[in-house]
Amino acid sequence: MIATIGLLGILLATVSSAQLIGRAWSASRSADANPASVARPVTMMLAGAVIALLALEAGILSHDFSLQYVAANSSSTTPFIFLLAGAWAALEGSIVLWGVILAVFTYLVARTVKTGDRLGLTALAVIGVVSLFWFGLMATVSNPFRVCTELVGGSCAASSWLPFVSAVAPAEGVGANPLLQNHILMAIHPPMLYVGYVGFTAPFAFAVAAMIRGDQGSVWLERTHRWSVIAWAFLGFGILLGAWWSYEVLGWGGYWAWDPVENAAFLPWLAATAFIHSAVVQRRRGMLQAWNLVLVIATFSLTILGTFLTRSGTVISVHSFTQSGVGPALLAFLVVVVLGSLGLFGWRAHLFSSAPRLDSLASREGVFLLNNLILTVFALAILLGTLYPIALEALGNARVSVGTPYFNRVTIPVAFLLLLAMGIGPVTPYRYARPRVVWDRIAAPLVAGLVAGAVAVLSGMESIPVVVIIVLGTFVIATIVKEYLKQVGKVDGSRAAAAGRVLRRDPGYWGGQIAHIGVAFLAVGIAASSGMASRDQVRIAVGDSAVVDDYCIVYEAATSRLEPNRRVDGALLSLRNADCSDEIASLEPVFNQYARPPAVATPAVHTGLSEDVFVALATLPGDDVVLDVMVFPLMWTLWLGGLVSVAGGMWAVFAKRARRKTAVLPVTESADV
Amino acid sequence: MSERVRRLIGWGVAVLAVGVIVVGLLPEQAVADPDVREQHLAQRIACPWCHGQSLAESDSAVAQDLVVILREKIDEDWTDDQIYDFFASSYGDHVLLDPPLTGWGIALWSLPALALVSGGWIIWSRQQVTR
Repeated sequence: MIATIGLLGILLATVSSAQLIGRAWSASRSADANPASVARPVTMMLAGAVIALLALEAGILSHDFSLQYVAANSSSTTPFIFLLAGAWAALEGSIVLWGVILAVFTYLVARTVKTGDRLGLTALAVIGVVSLFWFGLMATVSNPFRVCTELVGGSCAASSWLPFVSAVAPAEGVGANPLLQNHILMAIHPPMLYVGYVGFTAPFAFAVAAMIRGDQGSVWLERTHRWSVIAWAFLGFGILLGAWWSYEVLGWGGYWAWDPVENAAFLPWLAATAFIHSAVVQRRRGMLQAWNLVLVIATFSLTILGTFLTRSGTVISVHSFTQSGVGPALLAFLVVVVLGSLGLFGWRAHLFSSAPRLDSLASREGVFLLNNLILTVFALAILLGTLYPIALEALGNARVSVGTPYFNRVTIPVAFLLLLAMGIGPVTPYRYARPRVVWDRIAAPLVAGLVAGAVAVLSGMESIPVVVIIVLGTFVIATIVKEYLKQVGKVDGSRAAAAGRVLRRDPGYWGGQIAHIGVAFLAVGIAASSGMASRDQVRIAVGDSAVVDDYCIVYEAATSRLEPNRRVDGALLSLRNADCSDEIASLEPVFNQYARPPAVATPAVHTGLSEDVFVALATLPGDDVVLDVMVFPLMWTLWLGGLVSVAGGMWAVFAKRARRKTAVLPVTESADV
Repeated sequence: MSERVRRLIGWGVAVLAVGVIVVGLLPEQAVADPDVREQHLAQRIACPWCHGQSLAESDSAVAQDLVVILREKIDEDWTDDQIYDFFASSYGDHVLLDPPLTGWGIALWSLPALALVSGGWIIWSRQQVTR
């Protein structure tokens, strides 16, 4: 029953997608371009997708193990929250969630399409093509509602696509993947990431529509600007949550491994970051029209590449929990998207290349261009590093690796350049910046950065890259704060009201500056926690203690408890100061063993203002225990910075623009004097 | 305080800070401590059977044995390149996390640089010559 309803939902959404393509396309070509006919397929697509997701949830919550997906990804002892999240914890279900998000976005886009909006209708047809692919995938190779038809030894040996065949159910499900049911973050990380991934569909569709129609100008960009920023913020938030999960749960002592799948999420984020910046140049100065099309195509293509790498098992990583016919389908779609949109671009580019030229490199536009160049090269380097081993292996060469050392070598100089541009760019006037003007705005912040660097050195920091990042990060933040205070000073009224008013006067600009502050913190956190980390391994007998770095760790007792879905073995530790007198915190790193492997070692982390102490079990605790003890300086700045930059993006999109009052400068970007 | 005085103070503070940073960081970099070398190399060499984890990251017994071998080579005064080559020839090229600059590796390392230079040239050439 549940399977039948779910499959019908998927089929409804699939048919509606096809209908959307036809109706939106013909409406865009009709005399009055009336969007009334697309309302039905858009609503039906959303309804079908929601029905599919609800049916899947119903199957999981009611422990309907005749559904192969339910049996493979949950059990009767799986906690409620992980049952809910089970709907997107594996390949087929995650594509259902993807479809729902896409249908919601399609619905929201359709609401903005009014009579006569040929661009919007064409874009809806393009979105229809994209959704037809995803729902078609669910209806065929990635059907989450396959039912079990044959049991061998209590587990499903054969399954059928037809939901109404006589189904048999194993007595118990295998249970959720231990890695995914170990922490609440795994319930949130995928949806956030998907909102980011799927969100770029709208900008892509409008760009393709503008190319098809030959609509020059910035209409497509204006209309999708908010979508791009929202998608960018969610993608960033999703990546941040993934990193946090890796740090809090996996116990290997890091948050980022330059794993191909991490890169696959980072790449579209980089391309989108470049796009958001270059879009400003087009909106303000009419430049870079063709380049923006390239960037939005690249961003969307990279989201598909990311999904392909994640979901096809092409690369070995913590994310590749599946292998199926979905891989070839995604690869084919990727090829169609890349070749199709680039072909279209090649055909139509001449219409978009008549942009005004750059007056001078010494201008806001000039810095934006440099920003784009750096971000693009950054993305290219990471793309090469990610695909290099796969490509060489596909060409029949011996297995090779591209690991952290390569990525660090590329990232560190790029990070320096980006931070420098981030400090100078926002206070550089458009068209032509007199060096004197720029210098007056950055001189004091530069001194502040150098002083911060000196303080860092005096307090014992020895790593050159870390100190450089601290100098540049402080410079960026000081530039922004200085400019902000200057603007606040110009506004009449109470200081508190003025402080809010400036931020609201130009949410786009100040949202961007908030995001920049976040990135500066993020950079400091990344540099300090990786450049100055220390890692040790100690063996401690029960009741005994060991001194690691500036801490004393006392192993008080082994603990063990049974929870409904797992067995938890831990070591009760007391973290104390170096002479073992005062307790700083009580820690309990554990091993979690679920019904199915692997066991997950969850670390215990004590977060302090100057550093994190991270303790993970290397052996099962008994009479003695082996601990991995790591110290990560300034770790909190990384998480805080990430959140602040996401908040900046949100501010840019959702903050209500303050109404102009007299005696206030025109509502333009604050630094354009 | 006059503009001139403020400017002088600014420059003074900047020079002082740069001095502190340079003096503070210079001596640290000259050290060729065997522990530091071991840590660096262990990050650049993968444990052959650990899904691409480096020797430094992996907790596996294999990785720990290989770190012992690595340390022996360091103590025998092998250069970094010799050690790198030794691991590549013993366990295959995929243990090198830092792909060497040969064959396809040249493309990997040079393409981003090439893109940077050509992109920079395009931007430069777009500037208007008037003014």
